[in-house]
Parts: sequence; structure tokens; C-alpha cells
Amino acid sequence: MLPIIRFDQVSVTAHGKSILSDVSFALFAGEKAMLCGKSGSGKSSVLRTLLGLHPLKSGTVYFQEQPLTPESVQFIRSCTAYIGQEPILGAESVREALLLPFQFKTHRDHRPTQAQLTEVLQRLQLPEDILNRDSSRISGGEKQRIALARGLLLGKKLYLLDEVTSALDAESKQVVFDVFSDPQLTVLSVAHDPEWMERCGSVYELEAGRLTQVKRNGNS
Amino acid sequence: METLDIKLPQMALLYGLCLLPWFLLWLIGLRLSRDIGIGILRMSIQLALVGIYLKALFDLNNPWLNGLWILVMLLVADLSILRRAGLKTRYFMLATFIAIATSILLSTAYLVILVIQPTHFYDARYIVPLAGMILGNCLQGNVIALERFYSTLRKNENEYTTFLMLGATRWEAVRPYFREAVKAAINPTIAGMATMGLVSLPGMMTGQILGGSEPWLAVKYQIAIMICIFTSTTIASIINLKLSLAIAFNAFDVLRDEVIKKP
Repeated sequence: MLPIIRFDQVSVTAHGKSILSDVSFALFAGEKAMLCGKSGSGKSSVLRTLLGLHPLKSGTVYFQEQPLTPESVQFIRSCTAYIGQEPILGAESVREALLLPFQFKTHRDHRPTQAQLTEVLQRLQLPEDILNRDSSRISGGEKQRIALARGLLLGKKLYLLDEVTSALDAESKQVVFDVFSDPQLTVLSVAHDPEWMERCGSVYELEAGRLTQVKRNGNS
Repeated sequence: METLDIKLPQMALLYGLCLLPWFLLWLIGLRLSRDIGIGILRMSIQLALVGIYLKALFDLNNPWLNGLWILVMLLVADLSILRRAGLKTRYFMLATFIAIATSILLSTAYLVILVIQPTHFYDARYIVPLAGMILGNCLQGNVIALERFYSTLRKNENEYTTFLMLGATRWEAVRPYFREAVKAAINPTIAGMATMGLVSLPGMMTGQILGGSEPWLAVKYQIAIMICIFTSTTIASIINLKLSLAIAFNAFDVLRDEVIKKP
């Protein structure tokens, strides 16, 4: 089986400062992986680099064994859902936020039906009336679940989670974990949550931009 | 009807009027003598130079010389727009030049050749003041458009990135900021048209009336210039922003830091 993501000796500098050096790892479809480390160690930079937001200094990033290039970046982005601590919904109401990506040409023909919207909300245990709520009046945890719902509606298979569990209460955390127990979904997460760590097949530790420790299936 | 000349002694009398505000400012303890002096001196020298230049331009009325004048104005406007918008000249100079040149030439040509129809289309008496006025207003609009677009984009970088992640192309992702910037650029002109004549008499109309024109004629020219300003500001800010999109981002649609001047 080929990896879905592969970093091959990737180094990244931003504003003259090295943020990732010589990072190599691979992630296979369906795998759940976690990046941990102190703040500023480069965890989020790994996610951002995969999305083409940091120019590479050396090395290559592969997505489905295709190198990350200006030509392939839009495809990579369209396959990937990035969910941060406080996701930006980018629209006035929750309904508009969920439908936002379907205004763009790539997704225009896949607009979800009301039934699909209802289904995804139920799956994430969000009340249906949240659709008409104002985006500015919902909590951080709800925003994350809506961003996740948006990813599911887009049929995305790869989820990059940046400190997602920190804004969730115990119940919503369970819901999110259950969604990601789907073997079809691949997850690369930045997290500190011990419960989530248990569910992750691989744990990588970053220190000052270097991958220092790799645990696979609980073994070092 | 000729406009009455202001002779030299009367001109001196005119400068004398400045003594009144100067004295009042001195009385309330504002020591602005230096600034006032420099201001008045610079105004006088600069306008005298323009006077000499315009006199030559009008006397010769040579199409190439008139064209050169417009070219110089466009270049000065180009640099001034980028400086005031906080963007680096070396990246955007050509894009901004194309934008303002296209819109100014289009609207001035439309006005002079199709509407006013002077014997010679290059007549300095028409193209020099008209192109100059249109350009001056267009310049303001372009400063607002560029400044607003790039500052909003930087402020909303996370939102912009989110749009990209949701499958937007660069153009789809910047569109909300693009619309907002164009709106900000043309709003003053639209508002200006809506209140024109109510608050104050427009400058060009006042000038024409002083110059001996019929008020009706002055009104028609004022309408003409406002329509041209509106047209050229809209066209220039759209072209300018659109061209800048190809310069300001890297191949991965990330805004390049180096194109924006550090504050």
C-alpha cells in the first residue's frame, strides 16, 4: 500500500528562521497520527507545509505519491480538511457556512440536499436549528464540529486537526472521535489529549523543527 | 467676456491677506510661521512653474508634447499611488501604469473625441485640464483600492486560507476582499455625484464660470467630468487589482511578504 502523505527530508524556513528541518514520515490511508511537542516546535508547520502554505527549502512532500507543486496544490487542498482551534466559518449563518464551498467551481455540482445536511448534523450531534444561527454566536467547539461537518459534506478523506480537542467538551469529543473511527478517514493531528493519543496508530514528537521520536502502534 | 487680470500690486495685496490668519494664529499661541511660509512659498513656486509649462504647452499645442505631458502625469501618478498604498514600486509599477493609462486614455478620448469634438483632438486646452482632473481623482480611487485590498487580505489571512482549503481558486478566495476594495474606491465618487451642487459648487464649474463661460455650459462640462471620473476610477481600480493578483502571490496562492512595504 502506498502512503497518502509522505515527507521526504523536508526543511522549511520562514522569515529567515528554520521551522522544520529534515522531517521524514509517512502516513497511510485510514491511519490516525498525532504530532506532539512544545508550542513552537513546528507541529502546525507540518500541517501548513502539506497544504503548500510554506515554501520548501529542501526535500519533497508527496501526496498520494505525487509531489507537492503549484500544479498539484489545489488538488491536495481539495482532498484535505484543515480544522483549527477556532475554525473560520466565513459566512453569516451556519447554513451559509456549510454551503460556502459549494459556491466554488470545483464543488458547484455537488451541493448537498437538506436531508444530507440534517444527516451530517445528527452525526455530529448538532441541533438542526443551528443552521439558522449566526456564525458569530456559536461556541468554539460548535465551530469545530461545523468545520468537520463541512469536510464530511465535501467527502474529504484526509483531516488535518490543529488542537481540535482542546475546545471540545467530553461529550462532543466522543462524537468527534467516533466520526474519525471510520477506517476510510485519515487523520493527522496536533494534539495533547491522552485519550486521542490512545486512538492514534502513530505518535510523532517534534522538537525545534525536528522529528525526535516516533511511536508506532504504541511501541517506540 | 474676459476674466479680469490680477496685476502685480494687487497680487502683493493678496499675499498681504495671509497676515491676518498669521496674526490670529500667533495670538492664540500657535507658532506656525515657518510652516505657513514654506506652504505659501512652495505653492507659489510650483504653480509658477506649472504656469510657465502650461503656457508653452498651449502656445505650441504640439500633439507629441501634449502626449508627453500626459505620459509624465501618468508616471508621477503611478509612483504616488504605490507609495501611498504601501506597495513596493518595483513589483507593481507596470501593473498600475497599465491600469491608469488604459482608463485615463479611454475616458479622456471618449470625452474629447466623441463628445466635445474639438477641431484637433489633441488640443491642449481640452486634453490637458480634462485628463489631469480625471487622473487626479482616479489616483485617489486606486490608492484606496490597493491599500484596502491588501490590508483586508492580510487582516483576514486565515479566512482567505480557509477559502483555499475549501476548494476556492485564488480568484474565488480573494473575491470578497476584491469587491470590498472596489466599492471603497468608487464610493466617494458616487457619493460626490449624489451631493454635487448641494454642498458646494464644484471646482471645475467655478473655474469655468470665472473664466467667462455660461453657467449652463459649465454645468454640462461638470457632468461630463464626473461621469469620466466615475468611469475611469472603476476601470482603473478593477484592472489594477486584477493585475496585482498575478504579482502579489506565490505559485501556492500565498501572499508574498516582500511585495508589501514594512510600515
